[in-house]
Amino acid sequence: MPILSVQNVTKDYLTDGQRVRALDDLSLEVSRGEFVALVGRSGCGKSTLLNLAGAMDFPTSGHVLLDGVSTSSMKDAGLTQLRREKIGFIFQSFQLLHTLTVFENVELPLLLAGKQNARATARESLIWVELEGLGERYPHQLSGGQMQRVAIARALIHRPSILLADEPTGNLDTSTGNVILELLRRLTREQNTATIIATHSGEAATLADAVVRLRDGKIEDISRR
Amino acid sequence: MKSRLACLAVVLFVLPQLAAQYRTALPGYHYEFPRDHFNHPDFQTEWWYYTGNLKSADGQRFGFELTFFRQAVNRDPAKTATWDVRDLYLAHLALSDLDGNRFYHTERTNRAGPGIAGISEVERRIWNGNWQIQWQGNEQKLQAIDDHFELHFTLRSEKSPVINGENGVSQKAKGSGHASHYISLTRLVTKGQIELAGRNFDVTGLAWMDHEFFTHQLEPEQVGWDWLSLQLEDKTELMLFHIRRKDGSIDPYSAGTFVDAEGKNTHLRAGEFALKPVGDTWTSPVTHAVYFIHWKVSVPRLGIELEVTTPLRSQELTGNTKLTPSYWEGAITLAGRRDRSPLGGTGYLEMTGYDQPFEIAR
Amino acid sequence: MSRLLLFYRLIVRPLFREPVRTALTVLAIALGVAVVLAINLAGTAATGSFRSSMETLAGDYDLEINAAGGVPESEVGALAALPYPVRVSPRMEDYAVIADTQQTLPLLGLDLIAESRSRADTPSDVNIDQPENALRYLGDYDSVWVGESLGRKPGDRISLLINDQVHAYTVRGVYPDSNGNASAVVMDLAAAQAVLHKFGRVDRILAKVPQTPELEEWQRRFKEKLPAGVEVRSAGTGTDENRRMLGAFRWNLRLLSYIALVVGAFLIYNTISVSVVRRRVEIGIVRALGASRRSILAAFVGEAACFGFVGALIGLPLGRVMASGAVKLMAATVESLYVSSRPGPIELNSASVLLAMAVGTGVAIASAYSPAREASLVSPVEAMARGQREYSTRVHKTRDLVCALFLGLGAAMASLAPAVAGKPLFGYLATLLLIMASALAIPALVEGVTRFSSRPLGRILGVEALLASRSLSASLRRTSVLVGALSTAIAMMTSVGIMVGSFRQTVLLWMGDQLPADLYLRPAGNAAADRHPMISLDLVAKIARLPGVAAIDRLRAYEISFDGMPATLGSVELSVHRSYHKADFLSGRSTNEVLAELRDSNAVIVSEPFANKHHVRAGDSIALPLGEARPSFRIVEVYYDYRSERGSILMDRNTMLRYLPDPAPSNLAIYVAPEARLETVRAEIEQAAAGHRVFIFSNRDLRGEALRIFDRTFAITYALEAVAVIIAVMGVAGALLALVIDRRRELGLLRFLGAASGQVRKLIVVEAGLLGLLATLAGVALGFALSLILIFVINKQSFGWTIRFHWPVAVLLGALMVVYVATVLAGLYPASVAVRLNPIEVVHEE
Repeated sequence: MPILSVQNVTKDYLTDGQRVRALDDLSLEVSRGEFVALVGRSGCGKSTLLNLAGAMDFPTSGHVLLDGVSTSSMKDAGLTQLRREKIGFIFQSFQLLHTLTVFENVELPLLLAGKQNARATARESLIWVELEGLGERYPHQLSGGQMQRVAIARALIHRPSILLADEPTGNLDTSTGNVILELLRRLTREQNTATIIATHSGEAATLADAVVRLRDGKIEDISRR
Repeated sequence: MKSRLACLAVVLFVLPQLAAQYRTALPGYHYEFPRDHFNHPDFQTEWWYYTGNLKSADGQRFGFELTFFRQAVNRDPAKTATWDVRDLYLAHLALSDLDGNRFYHTERTNRAGPGIAGISEVERRIWNGNWQIQWQGNEQKLQAIDDHFELHFTLRSEKSPVINGENGVSQKAKGSGHASHYISLTRLVTKGQIELAGRNFDVTGLAWMDHEFFTHQLEPEQVGWDWLSLQLEDKTELMLFHIRRKDGSIDPYSAGTFVDAEGKNTHLRAGEFALKPVGDTWTSPVTHAVYFIHWKVSVPRLGIELEVTTPLRSQELTGNTKLTPSYWEGAITLAGRRDRSPLGGTGYLEMTGYDQPFEIAR
Repeated sequence: MSRLLLFYRLIVRPLFREPVRTALTVLAIALGVAVVLAINLAGTAATGSFRSSMETLAGDYDLEINAAGGVPESEVGALAALPYPVRVSPRMEDYAVIADTQQTLPLLGLDLIAESRSRADTPSDVNIDQPENALRYLGDYDSVWVGESLGRKPGDRISLLINDQVHAYTVRGVYPDSNGNASAVVMDLAAAQAVLHKFGRVDRILAKVPQTPELEEWQRRFKEKLPAGVEVRSAGTGTDENRRMLGAFRWNLRLLSYIALVVGAFLIYNTISVSVVRRRVEIGIVRALGASRRSILAAFVGEAACFGFVGALIGLPLGRVMASGAVKLMAATVESLYVSSRPGPIELNSASVLLAMAVGTGVAIASAYSPAREASLVSPVEAMARGQREYSTRVHKTRDLVCALFLGLGAAMASLAPAVAGKPLFGYLATLLLIMASALAIPALVEGVTRFSSRPLGRILGVEALLASRSLSASLRRTSVLVGALSTAIAMMTSVGIMVGSFRQTVLLWMGDQLPADLYLRPAGNAAADRHPMISLDLVAKIARLPGVAAIDRLRAYEISFDGMPATLGSVELSVHRSYHKADFLSGRSTNEVLAELRDSNAVIVSEPFANKHHVRAGDSIALPLGEARPSFRIVEVYYDYRSERGSILMDRNTMLRYLPDPAPSNLAIYVAPEARLETVRAEIEQAAAGHRVFIFSNRDLRGEALRIFDRTFAITYALEAVAVIIAVMGVAGALLALVIDRRRELGLLRFLGAASGQVRKLIVVEAGLLGLLATLAGVALGFALSLILIFVINKQSFGWTIRFHWPVAVLLGALMVVYVATVLAGLYPASVAVRLNPIEVVHEE
């Protein structure tokens, strides 16, 4: 069964009184262990799709099923629970908290979820992203690539079934970006997550199990490897 | 001299009249001086009246009036505290700047209090605040201080006191006790200073004093009076008064006194003199009262014919409150004859009852 | 024009985007201005023009002639005979209480005959409209004339409590009292003397003299005619003396009112700082496009000026409303501690409007200057550097700590300096320096505390606390300003709380020593510091004969003027005091020894405030005007006295009777025989006092009454503190709101990372709680230091009281709890704003 199932989803936004259609009757399924790349121009609906997939937003019509459950049917508490257990987010600008150390950043999702043993898990998480030993540093003491690794460690700390990454290499130089993409693909396999990245990077497309090309809120084509 | 009751009319009206507590003026009163120059608290009303015509060294003419009234209001033996009011002490002060054509007048009312006003035979003093008469031997020191002027005079009487009326009483109406004891000093040689508007004048001249005490007040039909004191160049003096009745006639109790050069006095009855206004009038801008300021005096028995005029038309004392009615009292000039020889002099004229005479009493 | 456009776009528009925060800032300034204005207006109204009730009836006389215990009335005659065109007005002056309304009015005995000249002629403000009425009813001792504002008509009956008895009077007339005159009861001198039992003396003589020669010459001429103990002063002197006496009281209240404004200043500083930090990029762009440094400076100062101006505009009516509340409190204090006076109308004149505008705008501009300058120093390059420049970058903790240390030292030195012209200027300077020192030390405190506490806090209160603590130290400068504002308010509350608490405790202890008798008796009616109604002698005699009464101390007090200041002259019965009383003297000498020296001799003891005001010590000699004499007295000792700020002088009753023979006492202290029951004796006294109106206090009642007056006195102080705290709490709310908006991305991110909305709320509330905690820590520390200055410098120099330090633990804890809860509650609205943020929008916007 696919861990993520997007079924005939339409998403409209109201901007300045104007109705803008971000997604238009879109359907997509992603299973665990799959590494999917969303490509397309700015404004084609990539971020909207990621937000819907992460239960941060809800479709105007249609359904987003996470592990078989429709996000629209859940209350705020349920959604929070869902995010805590099943979803990890990675952002273009890393979004680390500057006031916290690397350890503290990484263990934040566990702490917010009230989980025990956060530090040990965080240590483990950092090993995955090959940053062991940097746990006590603050974000501003790290390079861009290191920051994004921290963000990845944070996104994976609670072993999510879905990893959503919005332009994770957008703020990095190409080689660092490639390393990060490689890392993401590896972790997708190792952790058996369903990873969806929105990207402009051609490298990403070559690494992905499936490349979904969006245009004006619709899937233009899906190329699976 | 009953005329001067005007000043007290209102007081008398508002205060409870318990005249029965007081002595009345009866014939046969035994006069004794200096005792009788001072206080007679047994009588309800008493006054000392100083008027005079003075001239400065450079010839400037002045008239003045200083009067002290005592009106008994309470003889309750329980009221013995300092501030309890047993008598009211009123005083009037006026200065006529005859050549400067200005008239100044002021008044004050006090209780005796702790020596604020009073009459003391022991101290030989009659005072109301800083207006006072202080006897020193035969001389009297007169002092009166006002915001605008000051008077400091020494008065020496050339004649002994005159008892007006007959048998020691000056009868004012029909009936026993309807009279006053009336003493005059008719020729007071006066010397002293007048301070007016920052200037000092050394003055000399003649003053007149009336001292009267009684209990009986005016009859209802007596509405006003005209009173004159005349000091003539031949060292004689004449005092005359008319009491005017409601119907316009002259009261038969009007009277006068003639004092000859030696000080011998003659009582004049109403029929023995004539006092006639001669047309010229002055209308007060304050009270709108119309006063006669030109009179003809004739005493056929003495061969005296005089014209009375005034150098200053406006000599009306207007009361600041309703307590004192207004009256005209001013310096006058005399010209005429005695027998065939020309005779001049100066004096004072008082006219009362012309300003809505008894409005308050109504 | 272009500059205005710049101002509008850069400054004004953003203000409207955050209406709540803008409103909070404006409101903080408005409250600050309102408090300053209210105290100013109420102060003026409550202390009147420093004229006592009696003075408002004094008319336009030039000289006043006084003597302790009254001027011998024979002097009235002597003065009336003076060969000058002067006018004298002898007066009996006391107070009467209208029996059915309990209203206290001046009671004025005038020579109604002499005064009833025409209106134009009478300088007295009390014009009896119908003098013939005055004359008609003069003989009746039951005749009174009253001010028309009392609403009585001629013929009305009126019952008046005078001294300890109620008398029935008939209103004979009314006089107009609308033109600023106090309403009074006027009667003839004779009637007044009779009812007051003051024969042989008048309380005061007023005199009107010509304009030339000078007043001093007239004073000399009068003095020459009068006995040594009789004083001749220019007519405004009493008013001047009251002004001097009330000076310290008004000063201290006024300064206290400015604390609210200081708190407001912190908040303006914070608001402008936030505004600058947020707009660094915009500033950079504008600079790059050619705006000068000066126009940037002007723009931000302009922003502050707008806040100040609008705040002051709102503060004006608010202040007017607050003033009407304050004036009642102040008037009660003035009356019980200083002088009988009725509050005048509150007048919002142009001067007070100007003051409010100037204060509001001025404080705003002054406190905005530093951040505005910082804005003007932003280089155009920063427009390009997109990196977020944190708010904390410009904090120099070490340098600030050193400055704080120096300021603290300066404060310590200033607190040792003596008063300047009776005002504790250096004391105030010390408090100001301390507040500044604490403001500078706060960043270090915040950092230190948050650094060491964030992890333990995280463990105890959860990850939200960790985040909150970290965020506070991250935006150190903003946090410091907030903590500074709140801690200043808390410090003020704490210090005044400690001062008042210590004072109260001192008074309590002192009363234990000073009130040894079992029962106290005084005439009924409202007490006032300068009124000493008397108890009838027959009543005293009756009480003395009661079998249960062991002893009576007859106390008598007079108002005198000593060396240009009002003072109270009292006498006690040493025979009684000797056996029961233990007074407390500054030197610590034994009471018996001191009282033995006082006995029957020209010796006095003076109160501590008196000694301080007049710079006298034990062993000095002072000349006291007593009746017509001016004998010299030796000061044996200085005693502690907390009854009233006016100085007191005490002597043996026998000594006083030699100069002022009136034997009627103003108070009785009654000692119950050991075998008698207090309640029985009290009942007997009440029975004996039938027909008299007296208050009988048991020892406990009296203490309660004293404390009630004490607490009322300080009610306004508490109100001022409350306003300052409210402003600070509003500032916390506004600042947290700004913090939420500035950190919205972080808050949104937390939602992505699995934070529940409740956790976001908790984060903000915990932040508020931490702010409150830090502010309380700093505030209590600063408040303790300030309280020492208040107690030992400012109070001592202003009022001359020795206060023993005391921690009013319960009161302080209660107040701090309230403030703390308020602070936490202030976090609720920003927290709800944080919860409502859309995470997607805030995380992705850039």
